[in-house]
Amino acid sequence: MSGHEHAVSADGVWKIFNEGLSNEVTALQDVHLTVDTGEFISLIGPSGCGKSTLLRVIADLTDATRGQMRVAGVTPPEAREKQLYGMAFQQAALFDWRNVRRNVELPLELQGWNKDKRKERAMELLEMVQLADFAEHRPWELSGGMQQRVAIARSLAVDPPLLLMDEPFGALDEMTRERMQNELLRIRQETGKSIVFVTHSIPEAVYLSDRVVVMSPRPGRITDVVPIPLGVDRDEDTRESDAFYESVTAVREALRGHVGGAGMRARVGEV
Amino acid sequence: MSEAWADRLKFVWPPVLIALVFLGAWQLLVVARDIKPFVLPAPTLIAENFFGGLDLMWGTAYYTGTTALLGLVFGTIAGIVMALLAQRFIVVNNLITPLAAGLAAVPIIALTPILNNMFSITSRTPRVLVTAIIVFFPMLVNVTRGLVQVQPVQLELMRSMNAQPRTVLRSLRVPNAIPFFFTGMKIAAPLAVIAALVAEYFGGPQQGLGSRIASSAANTAYGRAWAYVVAAIITGLVFYLIVVAVERWTTPWTGRTSSA
Repeated sequence: MSGHEHAVSADGVWKIFNEGLSNEVTALQDVHLTVDTGEFISLIGPSGCGKSTLLRVIADLTDATRGQMRVAGVTPPEAREKQLYGMAFQQAALFDWRNVRRNVELPLELQGWNKDKRKERAMELLEMVQLADFAEHRPWELSGGMQQRVAIARSLAVDPPLLLMDEPFGALDEMTRERMQNELLRIRQETGKSIVFVTHSIPEAVYLSDRVVVMSPRPGRITDVVPIPLGVDRDEDTRESDAFYESVTAVREALRGHVGGAGMRARVGEV
Repeated sequence: MSEAWADRLKFVWPPVLIALVFLGAWQLLVVARDIKPFVLPAPTLIAENFFGGLDLMWGTAYYTGTTALLGLVFGTIAGIVMALLAQRFIVVNNLITPLAAGLAAVPIIALTPILNNMFSITSRTPRVLVTAIIVFFPMLVNVTRGLVQVQPVQLELMRSMNAQPRTVLRSLRVPNAIPFFFTGMKIAAPLAVIAALVAEYFGGPQQGLGSRIASSAANTAYGRAWAYVVAAIITGLVFYLIVVAVERWTTPWTGRTSSA
């Protein structure tokens, strides 16, 4: 730590549902994780491994049973109050009674921005996700991928340093999904955000991330952290490079619980 | 424009055709079997009475329509206020839900004679009150559902944006409830006309549809009695269609599912 603020740091975080009852579930067991400022981290693992729960603890949508979570150096409730993060979900969760632009304006409205500044900022963001032409359209007039881009624009509205994304491309078809991944990398390049991204697609995690955090269920815990040495500039060619396949293999093996192998893996405790 | 009208006509002509065939068969039956008007008057007789006394029809429907509208407005306001309380205070919700279910089984219209004694029978008040009570329940149930049945992901989104409960109510729950409000209104509006009309059967001022149907039938003016029934049907339809029109105009997103 030593003065340097991590985007996220989890220190011995546990989440236990129904603690002490017969239906007790340990969703997170002793999670240690740090996300550096500007880093792109993916959480990957099978259903029930706690990846969404971990994201929700970071976002203060639920609280940790034990342990310490810090977001940009403050507690999750403080981070939420100060809007130090923006969040996108698997469902775009747009409000049908607002047009596209006013959906993007929603977080600004809650922050008390005035009308003109709101509109200006929303148009800037729609420009960034290449939907400026659809500003006055209603959400249902947009395709699934376009709706998700609106949701991403909305999550960036207050210009938070951290983006939390819970399987945002999970409901999209493969082609749209890859386009959205490129888009997200571009937005990351442009904005320099730290990103925590939940997915269960191995290629998606590898293509996007600096490090892939591998999680395992019953109890939900981090079993491995795989660094992805693909550099900063990634494009369609990256997807077909040997380094990409090696990383995919490394993550796949980590998911299967193999020990050793690629040699580019660090044990959780050492990260 | 003309194409849009042609499109609309495609939807209009089947029910119109069925209505004409039905009326034709009715007329034929009455004439062929020489059925007496006190059993079933011919459509032509009803039409004669209806169009012959158009001013009377309008005035009568206007009186009952006003009662229905007043009851609809008061019942709707009460239903919305109670729904807001129910979504805010779980205690109120727990009180209301069984109460609403229980009261829905009470034949409220049967309270009219009692209300006639409690309030002045010569005024419109007891009828408006009965109508309002009848309107209250579908409005309460539907609006409550709309305020409560918000997508969990939208609630989480609001929380992630640090929205306070008041903002969640204003920016999410209330707009979410508007389509439900209209569902309630589509039930309540025609119901209000029926309630206002039936309430007139229990005495009081005689210038309404219910009173006139009863007195015409008692005076063996069956054609006129049926003409008033037609006026009642039209009044109910007008109430319903106004609700549908306002719904289309204000909530174009109803029935669309985009951001599931």
